[in-house]
Amino acid sequence: MVEAGAALVTRGLAKRYGKRIALDGLDLRVPAGTVYGFLGPNGAGKTTTMRILTGLIRPDAGTVELLGRPFGRGDRRVLFDVGALIEAPSFYPFLSGRENLRALAAAGAPVPKGRVDEVLTLVNLRDRASDRVSGYSMGMRQRLGIAAALLNDPKLLLLDEPANGLDPAGIVGMRDTLRALAAQGRTVLVSSHILSEVEHLADVVGIVAHGRLVREGAIDALLAVDGEVRIRVAPGEVMIAGPVLERVVGAGTVRLDDTPARDWLIARCDPSRAAELNRALAEAGVFASRIEAGATLEALFLEVTGTGPDVHGGTL
Amino acid sequence: MRLVRSNLQRLIRRPATLVTYLLLIGLILLIYLAIVVAAQQAVDPQSALASRLILTFPDAWFLTLSMVVGLGGLLAVTYGASIAGSEWAWGTLKASIARGERRAWYALMGIAGAVIMAWAGTLLAYTVGIGAALVGANVIKATSDTLLDPANAGQLVVLLGRAGLAIAMDVAVGFTVATIARSQLAGIGAGIGLYLGEGIIGVFVPGIIRWAPFAAVSAMMSGADGALGEAAVTSTGRLDPGTATLVVAVWLVVACGLAALWTERAEISG
Repeated sequence: MVEAGAALVTRGLAKRYGKRIALDGLDLRVPAGTVYGFLGPNGAGKTTTMRILTGLIRPDAGTVELLGRPFGRGDRRVLFDVGALIEAPSFYPFLSGRENLRALAAAGAPVPKGRVDEVLTLVNLRDRASDRVSGYSMGMRQRLGIAAALLNDPKLLLLDEPANGLDPAGIVGMRDTLRALAAQGRTVLVSSHILSEVEHLADVVGIVAHGRLVREGAIDALLAVDGEVRIRVAPGEVMIAGPVLERVVGAGTVRLDDTPARDWLIARCDPSRAAELNRALAEAGVFASRIEAGATLEALFLEVTGTGPDVHGGTL
Repeated sequence: MRLVRSNLQRLIRRPATLVTYLLLIGLILLIYLAIVVAAQQAVDPQSALASRLILTFPDAWFLTLSMVVGLGGLLAVTYGASIAGSEWAWGTLKASIARGERRAWYALMGIAGAVIMAWAGTLLAYTVGIGAALVGANVIKATSDTLLDPANAGQLVVLLGRAGLAIAMDVAVGFTVATIARSQLAGIGAGIGLYLGEGIIGVFVPGIIRWAPFAAVSAMMSGADGALGEAAVTSTGRLDPGTATLVVAVWLVVACGLAALWTERAEISG
């Protein structure tokens, strides 16, 4: 069944390489017109997913829908509306950037005349378009790769680590371009390890680990649910403050930080509830010496993928 | 057609094309230089006569073609392998498939582009070879009165057609080996190994090897005589030219089919 409002849907996607499970029933739903951050530690299955989405490999099980159409063996025409940059950009080193894009334009979806120069301008590579790709820096190759992905004016853009090798100006330029594309109603799926970049760029994120989706949703919503408030109290008041905080945010949601002083209490809740917690402590006669509220995608990523250092102290 | 056109535009710029052309032309020129020197300096009258015959028209038309197809065949195998292998190595096949290109079609058009470039190189080398033969004939003062002998024109046209088929098959075999190996170097190595190995194995099991691609090319180019329906195997143990032509055509189709099938079914990663 085709899902409305979604540019990309996978259901129960599974892929195995010998004994190694790359994907273990991956369910993704990428809303149309959004920038979707596709996150996961190394080996989580991101690139395998990208390869399946572009028809390079076939899943062992599961289904894929691209732009509201089922995508499987023999449905290559769906890819005419998809642009992709998977792993490292691929070019003929002896041809110029422009010639490479022209060569690529000869395959797959027809590309209107003038489009090659249009995308070269878009990625700020017009001045070097006549130079051989073998002389390009990594960042220039990456920009050319993004230009190649944009060649057929895609409705869905799949980018694997697009910020690789880009300088800060290039990253900002790429971010602006992708945001502009999303504003036009196009959908962008970005796989990246630069979490701060994804936090700036994406509307929605999906986090995969061990071939499964472990968290998916709008960044603001996820960070609200998975946010935390850190409160520092006098060491002698920790045992009083803990139960007070739990009464406000719920049992089992407050833990003690594992710093040597053990005077930070961490309440897992919407960061906007910091004032409420502070008031509760004050009413109980405990005064916080410091309060920090908020959450980062990085903290969420490390927590849900289990790839971060073990920072958990004892739960109160 | 845009894929073939794009392939040709790309292959013209590709260093491997220039290197292959120069290698073939250089080898042909070297061979003719050696023949001229041998014709002039040979003390043995038999050797001198043999060298003079190579430079004497109309036979020079056929001997040059035979040389170009022999040397060009080996280079065509490596050329086909280098083109297919680089598609995997550089990831350009991946990029095209991800754009929705038909896999099998992409492979077949890749072969077509390489074959056209190989034909152009072979024709160029043949022209240079004929030029070298003419210069050589002039140097050793051999007659070139029979340069344009209408009686041989028909046979030459047939052999030129067969040379085209042979080169196409060589390119396709190299392309297919590299497609299966997914590697430029492995493809070139395996292609050369196959080419040379066939000759070596042929010493021990000639009955089987005569059906192999390169032995069939050799038999096909041995003359324009022989047609389908005649005895398939000549008294020398090689296939008759007509049967050999059919065998080479079958190898071409098999190689193209395998390359297409392999590309169609491959899991493309990296």
